[in-house]
Amino acid sequence: MLRHLFKLIWNKKGTHSLLIIEVWAAFMVLFGVLTLIVFNLRNYLQPIGFQYDQVWNLELSSNQDTTEVAAKLQRAMQRVKSYSEVVAASRMSSNTPFSANQIGNSVGYNKVNVGGDFYYTDGELFKVLDLPLKKGRWYREADLAGKFVPLVINQKMEDKLFLNESGLNKVVKIDDKTSGKIVGIVDKFKAKGVYMSDNPALFYMFRKDDRWNSNILIKTRPGTDANFEARLVKDIAMMLPGWGVEVGYLKDSRKNRDNLTLVPVLIFLIVSGFLLTNVALGLFGVLNLNIAKRKGEIGLRRAMGATESGVTSQFLGEIWVLATFSLVVGLIFAVQFPLMNVFDLDREIYIIAILAAVAIIYIIVTLCAWFPSKQAAAIHPAVALHEE
Amino acid sequence: MIKLQNVEKVYRTSSIETLALNNINIDVKKGEFVSIMGPSGCGKSTLLNIIGLLDAPSKGQIEIDGSPVERYTDKHLAELRNRKLGFIFQSFHLINDLSVIDNVEIPLLYRNTSAKQRRELAQEALEKVGLSNRMKHFPKQLSGGQKQRVAIARAIVGKPEIILADEPTGNLDSAMGNEILGILQKLNTDGATIVMVTHDEAMAKKTDRLIRLFDGTQVS
Amino acid sequence: MLTNYIKIAWKVLLRHPFYTFITLFGITLTLTVLMVVTSFLDHLFGAHYPEEKRSRSLYIATLIQTDSANTTMSSGPASFEFLKKYAKTLKTAERVSVMNNFGFSNAYVNGKRIKLNTKYTDVEFWSVTDFEFLEGKPYDETNIRNADHVAVITDALRDQYFGFDGESVVGKTIDIENINYRVIGVVKGSPPTRVYTYSDVYFPYTAPKSNYEEKGMRGRFVAIVLAKNPADLPAIQAEFDSHIARIPRSEYSDNNRFNVLIVKADTYFDHFLSMFTRSDKDRIALYAIVGLVLLMIMGLPAVNLVNVNVSRILERASEIGVRKAFGAPAKALLWQFIIENIFITFIGGAFALILTFAVIQFINASGWIAYADLTINLPVFLISILVCLVFGLLSGVLPAFRMSRLKIAEALKV
Repeated sequence: MLRHLFKLIWNKKGTHSLLIIEVWAAFMVLFGVLTLIVFNLRNYLQPIGFQYDQVWNLELSSNQDTTEVAAKLQRAMQRVKSYSEVVAASRMSSNTPFSANQIGNSVGYNKVNVGGDFYYTDGELFKVLDLPLKKGRWYREADLAGKFVPLVINQKMEDKLFLNESGLNKVVKIDDKTSGKIVGIVDKFKAKGVYMSDNPALFYMFRKDDRWNSNILIKTRPGTDANFEARLVKDIAMMLPGWGVEVGYLKDSRKNRDNLTLVPVLIFLIVSGFLLTNVALGLFGVLNLNIAKRKGEIGLRRAMGATESGVTSQFLGEIWVLATFSLVVGLIFAVQFPLMNVFDLDREIYIIAILAAVAIIYIIVTLCAWFPSKQAAAIHPAVALHEE
Repeated sequence: MIKLQNVEKVYRTSSIETLALNNINIDVKKGEFVSIMGPSGCGKSTLLNIIGLLDAPSKGQIEIDGSPVERYTDKHLAELRNRKLGFIFQSFHLINDLSVIDNVEIPLLYRNTSAKQRRELAQEALEKVGLSNRMKHFPKQLSGGQKQRVAIARAIVGKPEIILADEPTGNLDSAMGNEILGILQKLNTDGATIVMVTHDEAMAKKTDRLIRLFDGTQVS
Repeated sequence: MLTNYIKIAWKVLLRHPFYTFITLFGITLTLTVLMVVTSFLDHLFGAHYPEEKRSRSLYIATLIQTDSANTTMSSGPASFEFLKKYAKTLKTAERVSVMNNFGFSNAYVNGKRIKLNTKYTDVEFWSVTDFEFLEGKPYDETNIRNADHVAVITDALRDQYFGFDGESVVGKTIDIENINYRVIGVVKGSPPTRVYTYSDVYFPYTAPKSNYEEKGMRGRFVAIVLAKNPADLPAIQAEFDSHIARIPRSEYSDNNRFNVLIVKADTYFDHFLSMFTRSDKDRIALYAIVGLVLLMIMGLPAVNLVNVNVSRILERASEIGVRKAFGAPAKALLWQFIIENIFITFIGGAFALILTFAVIQFINASGWIAYADLTINLPVFLISILVCLVFGLLSGVLPAFRMSRLKIAEALKV
C-alpha cells in the first residue's frame, strides 16, 4: 500500500513540488517559533529563587558631587535602615534584579574557567531578597578581615566550576591580583526574571569604603505606600543635595522585564499563526481541487471494491506521505541546529521543538485532507465514473 | 492555399509510440470547401490541429499561402493564426465569463485594433450569423445552435482567408446542423477557404471535395 | 484589452466563492501585516510630532573610541562640553540643539507616585523641535544663565500632578526630588518612540542634576543639528567630520588604549541603523535578515496562492486554448494572467487597507505606546501599493507562465 502511494506521488512530483515547498516552509516557521516558546517555557518552569514583592530599588547617583562619596553612601544607608517601615536594606551594584544592567566576568578554579553574572553586594542582600542558602552562610562584615574576598555562588556556578566537588570554602581566582573564598551556595538566582535561564552567578562582597555601588534594595513592611516613599526620597534628597534619588519597585521592573520577552514571542506567534492559517486554507483548497479532479479514479477504486473508509484512508495516506517528504527535507535543515549547537541552546529544546512541529504539521495536513477525502469517498461509484 | 507534404504525427509516451498520422499529402486551393472524413479516432482532429498550426507535425512540410511554416517561432505562428485562420469547434469553446460580443472580439484583441473598431467589426460579424440581437447575452443563455453561430462570428470577425471547422455540427440536431452548414456555404461563396472535419456523410457530400482518413492514413 | 481581462478576473472571482475566499483571505492578511509594519516603520522613522523636521536634521548620539584592530571599544553619548565645542560651532547648520539622552525620576502627589522621564535641554531645543505649547512658553537664555528652577511639562503630567480642572498651571510649582520647579509651559506630549525628544518634564540644562559640567568627551548628551534645507546635510556632515578630525589623539586615546575616534552626524535612519551595525558587513547581514523575514511573510502566502492558481489552470483550459487558437501570443496570455492576479491582489489590498486602519486605530487607542500616532499617510499608502504589486507579481508569474505554456491541442480537448 505504502509503495503504491509513493508511486502515485512520485509520478505527480511536478504538481506536488509546490505543496512540498509549502509544507516545508510551514515546518521551518513552526520550528523557529516553537524553539522560542520551548526555550522560554522551560525557563518559566524554573523558579527565580528569591522574593521581590515588597522590595524597592533606591537608585542614588552622585552626579557632579565627588567629595566623600563613600561616607555619604554609608550615611544614606544608615538613614534608610532607621525607618520603621524598612525590614531590611542592602547596597548593591547597578545590576539589580530585573534591571537592564548586566555585569559579566569570569572566575577560575584549577584551570576551569566559568563566566557568569557578578553581583557586588554587602552582607544583607540575602535578607532583603529572602535568598535561601543551600550550603554554608551568607558573607558578613567580619569576613572582610580575611585575605580573600568573601563570595557566594549559585548552584549552577558550583556545578560548572567544581564539577562534582563541593565548592564550599574553596578559594577561587578572580583576576591576577584578587582571589575569593566561597562561604555559601544558593540554589537559583534568576535576576532577569522568570524567562531568564538559570545562569552561573556570583555574589562578591565589596569593602566598606566602596563608592561605586550606589543602589540600595529596601525590603519594606507589607502595606507601606507611596507616602513613605515620598518621605524617603525627600529625606535622602535633603541629605545629599545635588544627588539623583530615584525609587522603583521590583514588582514593576519585573513586569517590564517579562514584557521584553513576552512581546516578541507574542508577535512571532501572531505572525506564524497567520502564516499557518494561510497554509492550512491553501492546502485545503488544493486538496479539494485535486480530489475533485480525481473523481474518476475514485469511482474506479470504489467499483473495484474499495470501501468508503478505504478511499478516505488512501487520500489521507497520500497527504501523509507528501507531508513526510517535506518534513524529511525540513528535518535536514532543523537537525543542524542541535548538531552545530547554534545559539548555544540546550539540545533538548531543539528536539522538543522539532517533535512538536512535526506533530502540528501532521495534525494540520490531516485536518485539511479529512473533509475533502470524506466527501470524495461518499461519492457513489456510478456517479463518479459517469462524470469522467 | 494550404499544402501538406508527407506529414506524419507520432505520439510518444515513455513506453508506447502511436502513429496518429501517416504520410498525409493535401493541397487545398483558394476558395475550396474541403471536408475530412473518417471514423472516430482516425486522426482527423489531429490533422485539423496541424493544418491550424495548433500542433506541430513530427515530420513533413506545411505551407500556408505559399510560405512554409516549420521555422516559424511561436510568436509568428500566433500572428499567422490570428491573420489567416478562423476556428470553429465541436464544443464551441465560448468563454462563459464573457458576453457574446466580448467573445466575438477576442481575435481582434491580439491586433492593433481600437476598441471602437473592434465593436463595429464584431457587430458586423454577428449580423452575418443573424445574432445581432443577442450581443449582450452570455453563452449560458444561448441554445447550442446559437452558440455555434457565435463561434462562427468569432471565426470570421478577423476576416481570415481560411476557416477550419472541427465537427461544427457534432453537438447539434440535424436542423440546426443544416443551418450552420448553410452559413459555412455562404461564407465559402463569399470567398473563404474552408476545411471541415466531420463524420457525417451527408454533410461531407455537400462540400467540394472529400478527404477520407482511416487509421491515420489518407484513403482518398 | 484591460477591461476584457478585468471582466474575466471578476467573473472568475465570482465563480467559486470558496476559492475566492481562500485567495482573498491570504492576500488580505499578508498585506495587512505588511501595511501595519510599514505604518509602524513610518512611525519610527518618518517625520512626526515633535520631530517634524527630521528630513533636514542630523543626530549626533554616540561617540565611539576604538583601536584600529577593533579589539577594544568604548561607546556612549558625548559630554555637553564636547558637543558645545564641536557641534554647536557648525557654521553650515541653521541651528544646533543639545539635550541629555534620558533620565528618570519620580514625583509624589497625594500618596501616589508618578514615574517621570526627565530631559535637560538648551533653548534651541524648542526651535529644532515642533512642540505644541498648550500653555505658557519655553525657557529662554535668561533662564539658562540664571540656572532658574523652571520646567516645561507635558499635558499628561499636568493632569496627573495637578489634576485636570481646566485651570492654568503656569506659575505653579512641581516638586521633583525635593526641588521645587516653577512650571513655565505645558506641551502636548510625544510618543516615547521618539527617544531624543520624548520626556515628561523638560529642564534648562543648567538646572540641578543635569551633569552638563562633566569633564571629558563622554557624557550623557546628544545633539540634533538642523539644516536650512535637506541639500545642506552633506556639507554639514563634512564640516562636522573636519571638526572631529582636528581633535588631537591625546584627547581620546585614554592612555593609548584607543587610536580611533568615531563620531558621526547621521540622519535619523542611518543613526538608528548604526546602533545595530558597526560595519558594512553587519549592515548587509541586517538587510539579509530583514529580506528573509519579508520573503517568508510574503513568500509563504504567495506559494499558497500559486498552488491554488496552478490547481485551477484546468478550469481555464478552454479559454486559454481559444485565445491561443485565435492568435494570442504566449506573452499576451502571460500578461493577462499577471494582470488578473494583480487585480485580485488590489482587491485584497483594499480590504487590507481597511483592516490596517482598524489595527492602527486599535494600537493607537490601546496605550501600548503612549501618544502613538500611527497613520496611513501618503508614503505609507504608496509603499502599500508597491507591496501589493510585488505580491501580485510574486504569486502571479508562475501560474501565468504555466498557463501561457499550455499546449493548445490539449487545452481544447476538454
